[in-house]
Amino acid sequence: MVDAGTVAVATQMIGDAGLKAIGAGIAITGTGLASGWAEKEIGSAAIGAMAENEALFGKGLILTVIPETIVIFGLVVALLIK
Amino acid sequence: MSRPKRMTKAVIVGHKSVLKGTIDSLHDSNLLHIEDFIEDESGFKISKPFQNAEEASKKLVKIRSIANYLGIERTKPVVQKTNAVLRELDAKLDKLDSDIAEKIKIINKYDTDLKNIEAKKKEILPFLSINLDFDYYRGYENLEVFAGSVKENLEEGLISRVTPAYELFFDANTKTVVLFVAKTDAHKVAEVLQALEFKELRIPERGGVPSELLKETEQKEADTSIMIVSLKAEVESIRSQYTDFLLASDEVLSIENQKAELPLRIATSGNAFVIEGWVPSDKYDILVNSVNDATSGRAYVTSIGIEDEEEEEHIPVEYNNSKSVAPMQEIMNLYSRPKYTEIDPSSIIFITFPLIYGMILGDIGYAIILGAMALAIKSLVKSDAVKPLMNILLYCQISTFIFGIIYGEFLGFPLASLHSEGENVAGLLPFWNTITLFPGISGEEFTFPVHRAHMVMTMIGVSVAVGLLHLNLGYILGFINISKHHGLKHAVLEKGSWMIIELGVLFAALGYFGVISGLTNVGVVILLFGIVMLTMGEGIKGPVELPSLMGNALSYARIIAVGLSSIYIASTINTIAFGMIWADHSKIGLVAIAAIIVFILGHALNTVLSIIAPGLHSLRLQYVEFFGKFYQGGGKKFNPFGYIRKYTEE
Repeated sequence: MVDAGTVAVATQMIGDAGLKAIGAGIAITGTGLASGWAEKEIGSAAIGAMAENEALFGKGLILTVIPETIVIFGLVVALLIK
Repeated sequence: MSRPKRMTKAVIVGHKSVLKGTIDSLHDSNLLHIEDFIEDESGFKISKPFQNAEEASKKLVKIRSIANYLGIERTKPVVQKTNAVLRELDAKLDKLDSDIAEKIKIINKYDTDLKNIEAKKKEILPFLSINLDFDYYRGYENLEVFAGSVKENLEEGLISRVTPAYELFFDANTKTVVLFVAKTDAHKVAEVLQALEFKELRIPERGGVPSELLKETEQKEADTSIMIVSLKAEVESIRSQYTDFLLASDEVLSIENQKAELPLRIATSGNAFVIEGWVPSDKYDILVNSVNDATSGRAYVTSIGIEDEEEEEHIPVEYNNSKSVAPMQEIMNLYSRPKYTEIDPSSIIFITFPLIYGMILGDIGYAIILGAMALAIKSLVKSDAVKPLMNILLYCQISTFIFGIIYGEFLGFPLASLHSEGENVAGLLPFWNTITLFPGISGEEFTFPVHRAHMVMTMIGVSVAVGLLHLNLGYILGFINISKHHGLKHAVLEKGSWMIIELGVLFAALGYFGVISGLTNVGVVILLFGIVMLTMGEGIKGPVELPSLMGNALSYARIIAVGLSSIYIASTINTIAFGMIWADHSKIGLVAIAAIIVFILGHALNTVLSIIAPGLHSLRLQYVEFFGKFYQGGGKKFNPFGYIRKYTEE
């Protein structure tokens, strides 16, 4: 357990701006990882489908980039925190 | 905004005696997309291919296999007369075939020889330093010969301890042992050798001294290699001699084959044939005339009306765009060709795709570099596949250049100086100062030129606003598509409802933030009205999809996000490079060179990224957000019966 005094000191050391920056960082990190994870799954499946039929490139690309919106949300949140 | 080329359904009927003439004229005109006949209860059957089909395909297979072996590439076409090619074809093909077959056989034989020689050489090598004739290794009654290799050094004492009579040869470098002992002591010696991990070596069958044998083998190897090289050169000369012939005859035979096999795709009865297909409406008369000319009017051509909507959807699709819009068809094909009944959005993405690309990149420097690159590649590479892509890249760079002026950016440097919010940022051009136009979002100022890095929130707002315009354009197109095929009511309920919902949200937001008081309730009422309409139009799936509207609109925030990442990469490179030059004036020589390298490599990297990132994101906004609102795709390609000749002419 961290006692209240330590928290106060730490908060003082980091400062409001620092906490905001950490928050923004978490927003980007989390959403970035989430996008990447989702795209990894879809992307590998899309490549598999393309190996069968090259004409599926367009559809594969679309499906792969759909989760990218997640990280855009993260970016918006990060900018709002600032 | 255009629709695919209008098509007319043409039916050609005639006696079988004029079938060949009809097929020839259809093939030459290259206008009719033939619908394959599927046998049904009508009594018509598909016919048999013409007699020459089998022979033509046999020759075609032979030609293609030879061309494949020789590695024939499609070069600048030398146009030859079809008749001349056909006349010479058989004789030339036979000669070529026998020449090549013989050469291949000899080359293969020499290749095997070479492998055997190498194996022999490997056998000789370990015995090289023990210069003993290989005939001495065999043929003894009372002597045992051990020839092989060991892992450690072999001391002579080890052998002399177990047997008095022996003759030992040992090469310390290769650890090769050759040992002659009396048969009676052989098993003792074998044990000693076993302890040293003795491995037997094959003794070459030919007698002779190793060094001489090696010299002989190497000579043989060199001779064989020379033979192979000279044979390959002969094959190469055959290749260059026959390239034109192979390409031309491939083309001639492909055409023959296409014509000969057409009867398999059409309906025939005992004496008559029926060919059904699609022809562009404006070319229908040309088709009629050419068939009539070829058969002296003995084949009957007529057009018939389109039966129902189901059939209309399956009409083959030929784009109908102007030359400047045509490159965008590649982007359409990548997604899916439009259906015959749909609006072809090529001419819309001709504007929106470069527009969004330019909004993302927006840099004069990169626009010039990439524009020059596109022009250079376009003039150097003659490939038909590359040209449209370079044209698209060029369109994008024009838009990037314009946005570069609006943003005032050159390779990541701001061109105009900025004095606002207590910040002073110097620009590259001393005479250009930023003008503040009006206040932006969250305390930022909207300026000209637009300093994107200093007005992020405002630019997010602008991006989303652009997105909403783009999305509504999609709804309008969807509205047009649906009202044409399912009536105005459906269009209003399915697509119009979305626009009413947007209006409701807008009113509610204006009221809530107190811009215009009392509007909140009006907005909510409009919103509910829109949702009810949507539910009537699309059922329960409509309201479920409501949040996607917000997702789609926010997705356009990537316009500024990806743009900023490009700016930051560029300005980081600039900071590093200029920091290196100005950090220490005394050592300017070497550091300056390093700085220039950093500058060039860094911007080269960012240039490559500048094609990929804005391109993919702009593409995605078209495909996912924009097309999702109205586009179905899945049209069949218009593929007329004919052949575009490259290497031959009539």
